[in-house]
Amino acid sequence: MAAPDEVVPPEIPASGQHAIQPPVVKAKPVQAILDLCRSMSLWPMTFGLACCAIEMMATGMARFDLARFGAEVFRPSPRQSDVMIVAGTVTKKMAPAVVRLYEQIPAPKWVIAMGNCAISGGPFKIKENYNVIEGVDTLIPVDVYVPGCPPRPEGLLEGFFQVQRLITGKRWWPVAEEVQG
Amino acid sequence: MKRQYAGTDPLAGDFYTRQFEKDRGEHTLVVNMGPQHPSTHGVLRIVIEIDGEYILRADPVLGYLHRMQEKMGEVQTWGQYIPNMGRVDYGHPLAWNWAYVGAVEKLMGIQVPERAEYIRVITCELNRLTSHLLWWGAYILDLGAFTPIMYSFDDREMLLDILQRPTASRLTYGYFRVGGVRKDLDDRCIEMIKAFIPRFRSRLPMYKDLVTDNIILRKRVEDIGIIDRDMCRRYGCSGPVLRGAGEPYDLRRCEPYSIYDRFDFEIPTEETACSAGRYLVRMAEMEQSLRIIEQAVEGLAHAEGGHIMPKAPKPSMKPPKGEAYFAVEGARGKVGVYAVSEGKKVPYRIKLRSPSYSNLHAFAEAAQGTLLADAVATLGSLDLIIPEIDR
Amino acid sequence: MGLKVLQGVETLCVARCDPAKTGQHWSVFLAPQAIVPAAAALSAAQYSLEDILALDTTDGLLVVYHFNAWRFDERIALKVLLPREDPAIPSITSVFQGAQWHERETRDFHGIVFEGHPNLIPLLMPAEDVDVHPLLKADKARRAIRDIMDAGEIVSCTGEIAALFAPPADTSADAARTDGGSKA
Ligand code: SF4
Repeated sequence: MAAPDEVVPPEIPASGQHAIQPPVVKAKPVQAILDLCRSMSLWPMTFGLACCAIEMMATGMARFDLARFGAEVFRPSPRQSDVMIVAGTVTKKMAPAVVRLYEQIPAPKWVIAMGNCAISGGPFKIKENYNVIEGVDTLIPVDVYVPGCPPRPEGLLEGFFQVQRLITGKRWWPVAEEVQG
Repeated sequence: MKRQYAGTDPLAGDFYTRQFEKDRGEHTLVVNMGPQHPSTHGVLRIVIEIDGEYILRADPVLGYLHRMQEKMGEVQTWGQYIPNMGRVDYGHPLAWNWAYVGAVEKLMGIQVPERAEYIRVITCELNRLTSHLLWWGAYILDLGAFTPIMYSFDDREMLLDILQRPTASRLTYGYFRVGGVRKDLDDRCIEMIKAFIPRFRSRLPMYKDLVTDNIILRKRVEDIGIIDRDMCRRYGCSGPVLRGAGEPYDLRRCEPYSIYDRFDFEIPTEETACSAGRYLVRMAEMEQSLRIIEQAVEGLAHAEGGHIMPKAPKPSMKPPKGEAYFAVEGARGKVGVYAVSEGKKVPYRIKLRSPSYSNLHAFAEAAQGTLLADAVATLGSLDLIIPEIDR
Repeated sequence: MGLKVLQGVETLCVARCDPAKTGQHWSVFLAPQAIVPAAAALSAAQYSLEDILALDTTDGLLVVYHFNAWRFDERIALKVLLPREDPAIPSITSVFQGAQWHERETRDFHGIVFEGHPNLIPLLMPAEDVDVHPLLKADKARRAIRDIMDAGEIVSCTGEIAALFAPPADTSADAARTDGGSKA
């Protein structure tokens, strides 16, 4: 019961923005099927940095149940995952590690910047800043930004839908109704 | 400003490993655990020297999440700094809220209305429960059991539903204000708390049967990671680590603040000083927190005053010159804020004394001579929250 | 009544503080070389170390040590004033191992050198920022000690410390005022 796709602006490219090796079989329908499979079984990396990581955990737990959307296999190793959720503040000391982890993920890979810290430095973006990196996109390419401090688990779920949309070109899940009051 | 990040070259080698290797013995191996390691709960890094499976030396490397909290204290106004307190320790942010506004209230000589005190106690204790539940789930997860965290988050979500109503946030609360709290607890909220207490009481025995009495868990945590009383004193450990070593030191009793002297509760202690001791102390503390909440909800019904004092200071307040230290009992131990004011809108210096910092320091000594796998069990039992250590 | 635990340690100034106002019971000024004996005396009396911090003031760098006991409610603040140039102080890690990280952190933030520290390398700051001390204040923002704290109820005091708390007068009158300052 996928929602009709009018929410997707057509100009968004279909499969992430990273250079990947050309597929062995180059037929379009094969690619479409592979993309669909890929998007419905995303393996995120357990990469908690700060407060946002707790909300990331909450997203995977019983109430919000990320497993419904095929992304519950949190992997501790970058080599086994294909989505990196940067959940928290990246500092100067941590930056090399973040870059390295990103490089260790095999392509195709996607990055979600979760929380204001990962997007722009968030609450720690001050004039006297000496240690916080203002936006993880200065280090690695980011596909989806999920704002909030911390974003609610629903927000992160929406972020995953966006990644799925980036892969397949289509949003697969119904849009939640607006809550009154 | 375009910044250059020195050290982004992954092949350049690492300063801390090199420093550590300096006095490395023969036929041993230096291993880095972290900064991205699933059992370190965030970005803690530990450099370990091992001989076979045994740890000879361990040295935690901090600073991977140093977020300049103390610097920010010197550039933001007194009121603007409150949201930061929600982010120092996201496990138990209300304790930090309390320590900070407590210090400012001391500077300004403010008396908080009774109702506000009750609300502070209730929300702070609810928050302590969420913190302990988070620790419990994550600790058991570290030890290799996945299911319990599902149960603990189930209960935690209910607590968050309650706390969300007054604080308007799920995790990083900036709820306390100088002179009171931001919003009163509404009737629905009280109802939810009243419904939650019996439910959670009935869950605790289940946790005990399911996990605490489990022989596998017992074998993994008993007599592991000994941190005894003298070590606690030398390192300045507090909270469940200290109570797990048999010292009934709880600031709610020993340095009574707010209205904690009105409640009837016990301070659980264990004499074993091992990971199991700390585990049992936290489990017992949850019950005591429930008791406090129960009594506080009753007291709230006939507490005087509003949720915030009339004419509470504005965010641009100017506390008179002076220094103030205020410590509260957080889920991890003694949470202290030392504030120095020069009588301006902006603090002169804020020092945050975080409990995990001292607790983790003791780990380096406790881990010596243990098995590598036991180090994880010890580390988890300290209940670390990394942003609080690095600040 | 003076502070019993520190008997036998040379102090520069002992003052009783109002715990309701400052959260501290005693504020003690020490000379740098007296910090280790003082820490040892507190350790023998079963005090535990809470934290170490530094304050950047026009009078110099003020290092503050907070100690607290478990069995009774008493917080003692030991304060040591160091010169701005080459601030150095003996390390108390031999008495309280827990001071190691606090001292490393203070070195990171204010550039104070703790002599005898086994491993004084950056703790919170990245290794390449060895010489960056973020919490040192700009010249304009720096204040004198008398502008940021009260002396408290003084039990004993030397003229030097009393002068720090004396109201700012023209400097020539300073020496004459120290007696009046200690009573204030
Ligand atoms: S965005 Fe907010 S909640 Fe997330 S890591 Fe940053 S400070 Fe914490």
